[in-house]
Amino acid sequence: MAQFINTAFNALSLSSIILLTSLGLAITFGLMRVINMSHGEFLMIGAYMTYVVQEIFVKFFPESIFSLYYFVALIAAFGVTFILGAVMEKFVISRLYGREIDSLLATWGISIILQQAARTIFGMQGVNVQVPAVLNGGITIGKCTFSYNRLFILMLVVFCMVLVWYIMYRSNFGKQMRAVMQNRAMAQCMGINSRKVDMITFAFGSGLAGLAGCSVALLGSIDSTVGQSYIVNSFIAVVLGGVGRLAGTVFGSGIIGFSSIGIENYTSASIAKAVVLLIIIIVLQFRPQGLFTMKSRSLDE
Amino acid sequence: MSDNKVLKIKDITVEFDGFCALNKVNVNVERNTIHFFIGPNGAGKTTLLDIICAKTKPTSGACFFFRKTGGEVKLTGMREYKIVGEGIGRKFQVPSVFVNLTVMENMMLSLKGNKGVLESILYRMTAEEEKSINKILETVDLLDQKNEKAGSLAHGQKQWLEIAMQLVQKPEIIMLDEPAAGMGKPETFKTGEILKKIKRDCTVIVVEHDMDFVKQIADRVTVLHEGKVLVEGSCLEVLADETVQAVYLGRGGERNAEN
Amino acid sequence: MKLKKQGYNLCFSAIVLVLAAMPLLLRAGVITSTSFILFLGKCIAFSIVAIGLDLIWGYTGILSLGHGLYFALGGYAMAMYLKLQATGGKITSFMQTGGMTELPAIWKPFLSAPVSLFLIIAVPGALAGVIGYFIFKNRVKGVYFSIISQALTWAAYSLFTGLQSYTGGNVGITEITSVLGSIKGAANMGKMSVLFYISLTILVIIYSLSYALINTKFGKLLIAIRDGENRTYFSGYCVSRYKNFIYILSAVFAAVAGALFVNFNGSITPAQMTISYSITMVIWVAVGGRGTLIGAVIGAFLINLCDYHFSSGEMVEIWQYILGAIFVVTILFFKGGLVGIVCDQIPSLWKKNPESGVVVNE
Repeated sequence: MAQFINTAFNALSLSSIILLTSLGLAITFGLMRVINMSHGEFLMIGAYMTYVVQEIFVKFFPESIFSLYYFVALIAAFGVTFILGAVMEKFVISRLYGREIDSLLATWGISIILQQAARTIFGMQGVNVQVPAVLNGGITIGKCTFSYNRLFILMLVVFCMVLVWYIMYRSNFGKQMRAVMQNRAMAQCMGINSRKVDMITFAFGSGLAGLAGCSVALLGSIDSTVGQSYIVNSFIAVVLGGVGRLAGTVFGSGIIGFSSIGIENYTSASIAKAVVLLIIIIVLQFRPQGLFTMKSRSLDE
Repeated sequence: MSDNKVLKIKDITVEFDGFCALNKVNVNVERNTIHFFIGPNGAGKTTLLDIICAKTKPTSGACFFFRKTGGEVKLTGMREYKIVGEGIGRKFQVPSVFVNLTVMENMMLSLKGNKGVLESILYRMTAEEEKSINKILETVDLLDQKNEKAGSLAHGQKQWLEIAMQLVQKPEIIMLDEPAAGMGKPETFKTGEILKKIKRDCTVIVVEHDMDFVKQIADRVTVLHEGKVLVEGSCLEVLADETVQAVYLGRGGERNAEN
Repeated sequence: MKLKKQGYNLCFSAIVLVLAAMPLLLRAGVITSTSFILFLGKCIAFSIVAIGLDLIWGYTGILSLGHGLYFALGGYAMAMYLKLQATGGKITSFMQTGGMTELPAIWKPFLSAPVSLFLIIAVPGALAGVIGYFIFKNRVKGVYFSIISQALTWAAYSLFTGLQSYTGGNVGITEITSVLGSIKGAANMGKMSVLFYISLTILVIIYSLSYALINTKFGKLLIAIRDGENRTYFSGYCVSRYKNFIYILSAVFAAVAGALFVNFNGSITPAQMTISYSITMVIWVAVGGRGTLIGAVIGAFLINLCDYHFSSGEMVEIWQYILGAIFVVTILFFKGGLVGIVCDQIPSLWKKNPESGVVVNE
């Protein structure tokens, strides 16, 4: 039983990490139809920001408040990736609306540049962040241990989900955003500044990648390729759930997370990864539009 | 009369997300006629064409095609390229030609036969085929543009090209979705005359708003309204019908006729 | 139009002639580095894979982000044969580390040269056939295809690194010579030249084959599929079969390229199977010019030549920035790549005719 709960918790934790990395993609890919291959690099930037903020705290602040660094890092990571996303939208993405495949390739070029920049600044060697004291350890109930940092990531995911949901479906900006994504020309006629909406939407998606990077930093060492190892799963999670559906992305991440951990029980991690991807590719053969889409006229073309 | 049927549309119902685009539609189309589907926007005309050529799957009901050589084919459930192979061609509402190929190449791809992978690699155009393409291009005034890229043609010319591409297939049924859209009066009239000529060899199904065009060539007219067949009959019968005037002609007909 | 095509072929002939002269120049002492010739041999392999990619992407509009998979499969098949040649049919060290005492069954066919040669083409071809059959039949297209091809490659990469005792894991298969024996160093110059000319011949054959193919009705259909897939279905063609055919063909080209690559490289690693390696191949085609065969060849040579010159010394970091920037700028402003710039954009500047400035229409 304890074994089972531990496995389930691991699966939930993995799902939450995949979900966190997919949320931004669900917005940029799902809503804006931009295939941002450099999403993984935004995640990497978020992770490195955590490291940078940590170093700043070590150098300039008293040790007593060191633990707070992580919460400052969360804000910094979101802020920096948000701004970078806005800049990138302005100069590159804005020219690529309606050209999905080209957006994929152009953003790949950007990811080459960002990876090299990371190597130039931080070196080839991976860096590590110190898990803040608050998040060290875990709760033990019976024979099961729930580590704090994984619980924290879970909470962060829930927080981000609520944030995204609120912004998209409850705020005025969300209304404008959905209007622009559905019919750009019409939205412009209604007096919406679609350029601004595009930019903020993309920047927000990038910012979420930054937040995801922060949480990834807690889990292992950070190097220039850290984003690459998450990006494939994230894309698959979005596609599996059905592009353009937030709830779908949640399920997509869950399916990948749980099946990965489930299969890992029987074989090695890398083979489990391969098996899960193959199964999902087979599933997508039968539901090419994802699992959570409805039949509607707009999907005909 | 029923012996000469070429197409039977039986109890077709189509639902999108609970919205009923077509509701138990039953229509028969006679061979060698020009059959019009008219009706206000959203009546389900284009959807009906989509059903016939299997672009959309019906929620229930089926379409049947009767070959010239005899034999009945159930179209519903077939793949679209097989339906084309049966001899049912379609021209879309938005002109869709292959923009990076020349007019001649567009026509060549539309020729009947040689649709397999290996056949297409080994294929060489025969003199006869070239002659028939040239003849059709001449009828639609595109012979001079033969070696130009289709993408460089004017909108009206693209419409012509797409019609020509249907003709060169020598289909049994040819379906045209608003062929006159984007054409001027004289061109529309000319389209009508060409259609009259080709109905000797095949059946023409047209979706159109232009009432003059309908009057010019229609043998039979089906009026659709909110996914149902409202009236069916000859052109004069339909025009005289009071319900048709109320839901369609009285409201938008005149404006549409001015296109 | 005719003139342009002749120009492309002339350009290709010129490249082939220059390449053919290289081993002679080496012998004459004009070129001193034998490793440069080895590198050019690899470039020949790269341009073969680029031609395959161009056929499915430039002509048919299917962007595969997983051609590294087929390249590596061809490479691994070749390397397995060569490794067994090197060990004399005995089991390799990584198998021993994995606890094996005799050669695993999947290695056994590679004891024979003809069977290996067959498998180099058959395995990737069959895999592409199965994958393509399902993906295209179910009408997975556009970016969905790209994302799935990417995931497949990732899955294959995980498998190959995971099955260490069969594949050599992260290290791959190393310490092998070419089919003709060792080609490194001045002493083996003769063998190297032979291998080089064999590769060049294969490139010429593949280019000619592709050139002939795109000028048939089949070739026009590929463009038709790219421009309007649905229209092609409604012209009575089973598009999925066409797509599958060209997908298999390009996978086979990639596999042939991979096999040649191993001969010049002397090893194969899972790095050739990664997504980023696969996208790098797409970069070659994009920069050279998609939709023209010569563009693919030029792109493959040009990017790799730059890579070769800049990947050592102080330029190494800056080169990555330049590479990324070239790619972004090409995609944003020069959809026709270098060939597009030379053949369409520069002439249109002369004519001052703004309309013909667009190279590739959507």
